[in-house]
Amino acid sequence: MSQVFHEIEKKIITSLKNNPKQTPENLEKSTNLSPDQIRRGIEWLKLKELAIVNESQTINISLGKNGLESFHKGLPERRLLDLLKNESKKLQDLQKELGSIFGPAMGLARKNNWVDTSEDKIFLKNYPSELPGEKTLKQIGENKISKSEIDIDDLSGILKRPDFIIEDILKTKEVSLTENAKSIEITTDSSSAINVESKVPDVFVARTHPLKNTIDEIREIFVTLGFTEIIGSMAQPSFWNFDALFTPQDHPARELQDTFYLDGLSAKKIGTSEQIRKISESHKKSWRYYWDINEARKMVLRTHTTCVTIKHLAENKPDEARVFSLGRVFRNEKVSYKHLVEFNQIEGVVVGKNATLRDLMGIQREFYRRIGITKIKFWPTFFPYTEPSLQTMVYNDRLEKWVELFGMGIFRPEVTKPLGITKPVLAWGGGIERIAMLKYGLDDVREFYNNNLSWLRSATKCQ
Amino acid sequence: MPVVELSYSRLQKLLGKVSKKQISDSLPFLGLDIESEDKDLVRVEYSPNRPDYSTDLGIALGLQGLFGIKTGAIKLNIKKSNDYVIHVEPSVSKIRPFVTGIIAKNGRIDDTIIKQLMAMQEDLHFGIGRKRKKSSIGIHDLDKISFPLRYTTTKRDHRFAPLNSDKELTISEILDNTDVGQDYGAILGNSPQVPLILDSKKQTVSFPPIINAAVTTVTTKTRNLFVEVTGINKDDAEDMLSVVATILQTAGFTLVSTKISGAKNTSPKLEPKKILINSVLINQMLGLNLTNSQIISSLKKSRLDATLKGKNIVCSIPSYRFDIFGQMDLVEEVTLGYGIQNLEPILSPSQTLGQTNPISIKLKSLSLIMIGLGYTEALNSSLTSKRVLYEMTNREPINMISVLDSKSQEHTILRDSILPGLLENLSRNIHTSYPQKLFETGTIFSQGNPVDETTSFAGISAHQDSTFTEIKSILQSALKTGFDLDIETKTFSHPIFEEGRTASISVHGKTIGIIGEINSKTIENYKIRVPVVGFEISLSGLIFD
Repeated sequence: MSQVFHEIEKKIITSLKNNPKQTPENLEKSTNLSPDQIRRGIEWLKLKELAIVNESQTINISLGKNGLESFHKGLPERRLLDLLKNESKKLQDLQKELGSIFGPAMGLARKNNWVDTSEDKIFLKNYPSELPGEKTLKQIGENKISKSEIDIDDLSGILKRPDFIIEDILKTKEVSLTENAKSIEITTDSSSAINVESKVPDVFVARTHPLKNTIDEIREIFVTLGFTEIIGSMAQPSFWNFDALFTPQDHPARELQDTFYLDGLSAKKIGTSEQIRKISESHKKSWRYYWDINEARKMVLRTHTTCVTIKHLAENKPDEARVFSLGRVFRNEKVSYKHLVEFNQIEGVVVGKNATLRDLMGIQREFYRRIGITKIKFWPTFFPYTEPSLQTMVYNDRLEKWVELFGMGIFRPEVTKPLGITKPVLAWGGGIERIAMLKYGLDDVREFYNNNLSWLRSATKCQ
Repeated sequence: MPVVELSYSRLQKLLGKVSKKQISDSLPFLGLDIESEDKDLVRVEYSPNRPDYSTDLGIALGLQGLFGIKTGAIKLNIKKSNDYVIHVEPSVSKIRPFVTGIIAKNGRIDDTIIKQLMAMQEDLHFGIGRKRKKSSIGIHDLDKISFPLRYTTTKRDHRFAPLNSDKELTISEILDNTDVGQDYGAILGNSPQVPLILDSKKQTVSFPPIINAAVTTVTTKTRNLFVEVTGINKDDAEDMLSVVATILQTAGFTLVSTKISGAKNTSPKLEPKKILINSVLINQMLGLNLTNSQIISSLKKSRLDATLKGKNIVCSIPSYRFDIFGQMDLVEEVTLGYGIQNLEPILSPSQTLGQTNPISIKLKSLSLIMIGLGYTEALNSSLTSKRVLYEMTNREPINMISVLDSKSQEHTILRDSILPGLLENLSRNIHTSYPQKLFETGTIFSQGNPVDETTSFAGISAHQDSTFTEIKSILQSALKTGFDLDIETKTFSHPIFEEGRTASISVHGKTIGIIGEINSKTIENYKIRVPVVGFEISLSGLIFD
């Protein structure tokens, strides 16, 4: 099987075939690749056992201040010998002429028996044609040269002298091809095969929020079941959230600890005078207490979307209707894995002279069937504004238990009569996050609002 | 929802030959949700409108009906007596005008019953009693009391030994220093006089609605009971009394009447009420075709009495079932007696055509365009905090809308902008790979009439090379592609953005939002290590009303 190479690998192999040992820096120049590409390419070839990297150390040598002076003017001892070449000279004169270098030069000349002293004069005994170190000085000059190119014996003559020689230690990598690689034929054909088996980088799809997907799915199901979507405010007067739904003003559910009241905000207009009068009468008759309009004016964050539907029915008084409302609702609860202070609810009604409890159950069963839940049953329950009241229990295979989903019932006459609604109203509703949790297999409802990108990017969209 | 712990073996003793499985299968059909089960014990949630279900005795009555062991209404057999007299003095009229009561004799109570009676008392106080404000109950050892009693008022320096105390305290001390005093003292307001029940030896029996006297404490040795209810409404007080009377009779006590008079008070009757209903309404509501005898038998299974009178059914409802207001409540009783499991759901064709709200359609389109532009949708709460909304982004709080008494520090203020939330999202993702591009559409709130709600749309882009140009291109493209709108940007200044890199956005000369590079201080506050650009515009008034 012929091997498949990345474009980077091809360039490196080709270059090394022409010039078998190269540093990575050299390869950059010869291949026109970036340092990062060269680094990656070499790693890939090493893994495939096609390249070897030898790490070595080289020492470069250049001349220091005194070395350079000697290169230009000659070694101190050479300059001394040159002065004495034609005549012997007085010590003081030589000192004057050579300055600070006289001492070391004189020491060397005496030691090597090149000069001698007679009375107060110094004369030449011997004139060496080449001094140790002179060859090296000439070789280096003003350049930097690898230590390996230099005659070490000659160098030792000047190596120890202060400021003569500067050594640079350089660690270098040298890349070469293995024997296997040398026989590889690199084709430059642009349509050549690529490595289809290698791993590829992750890219992240931009996407709608998983909870929004569930919301859209549920919305579409009810629209296709003949329901029209209505939208209403999240901040509502207590009148529509509670009073209109037969929840007495002294009911525990209306207390601060369960409901969010808006600080200092009251509605001036809450309904028609007839609506207000009839609802207050219904409360007084059934619940035997003093009904206070100021309590009904207090603004709350809606605790259910039923307030939107009931207001719609009170305003339109339809004989035949299917409407639903979907949106955020609020409860003053401690946030936990199963409770949020703010979550989504869908809530709908069927109005019609022939609407029955069995129709209501049928709509529920059809809805669950369409979201893929077939194992359901109905149990009785209690809501202040419906009678009879039921709840749906659905079986969840993952949790291996029955889970409570939507509640439902027929609006009580104490709710419909004061608002002039004469036909039976079937109502149902419940939280959407609960359904989404079952769909996405989540056990912590807070995950929906954490906006954790790793989750948003990885949650499977279609399930 | 309140919870009661039941024992299967006790229930079986009360019911006769019924298996544990039959019981656990049937509990939900009384409206009791099974919360947990552990061998013989089962914890069920019951609805607060059925305080009789706070005891296993009450639940056994319901199950007897469902199983057909005993059907029809529970009748209270109250022996008439003149021995138990309560005089009511006019001084109570302005504070807590009504008292009622009953005697229960020759019963046996074990620890379980005492526990259940206490729990029932608390549920009655919370529900129908509206935290003791409307009515409250006291259960006493009859043999420690000398009749006749006086329901009267006293000053706050009156002394007696209250329940669970071995020394005498004044009323003021009880209100200031005991838990119940602190919890319920407010019901009495600042009135210098408080209600009190005294016996013929001037011994304190009860200080309603706060606490009983220690001397009348009920123990497992108690055989005879006195139950009193006081309140601001006579009917509510009698409703409460009837629940306790029914349960005590079921527990084997013999009920004996009290005689109450004075200041508009009368002796309790605890008589059933009658409601007429016909089969047409029931069948119309349920979508069934039940005969009168089927209806009557279903009502009896729900422990009510029913007889046919002409075309109507006369239903007799025992006084403890005060959750029944009218005919629709009886429809539910028929449903439960008949069995919800016997109702087959039907799917009738819809008479109406469904329609998605145009606002939802437009928001969906905008989402899809943003996704096409590489932006991921975020969702944040509308109820958020001062820290996220203002402190971290240097924005000035003006006319904030806050909620009262939130249980969560992070949810106290309604958002007036979406961008701060998106920035907070970035701070939670600083270890995730970049670029990070997010958008959100949602409701924002401002004070108005009294609250104005508008739909806002915001987007942010965070990565090493993010620029003003990039984010302006995105917004420009989104609005052009989605709604054929052209935007203009003009130099502007806003604390959330960097000075000199901020613009206002307008469409057709009308300002709709802001755009720019996020202020470096905010980025620092959130420890984000890349530059961020963003925008926020109002969609209300732009693409819908």
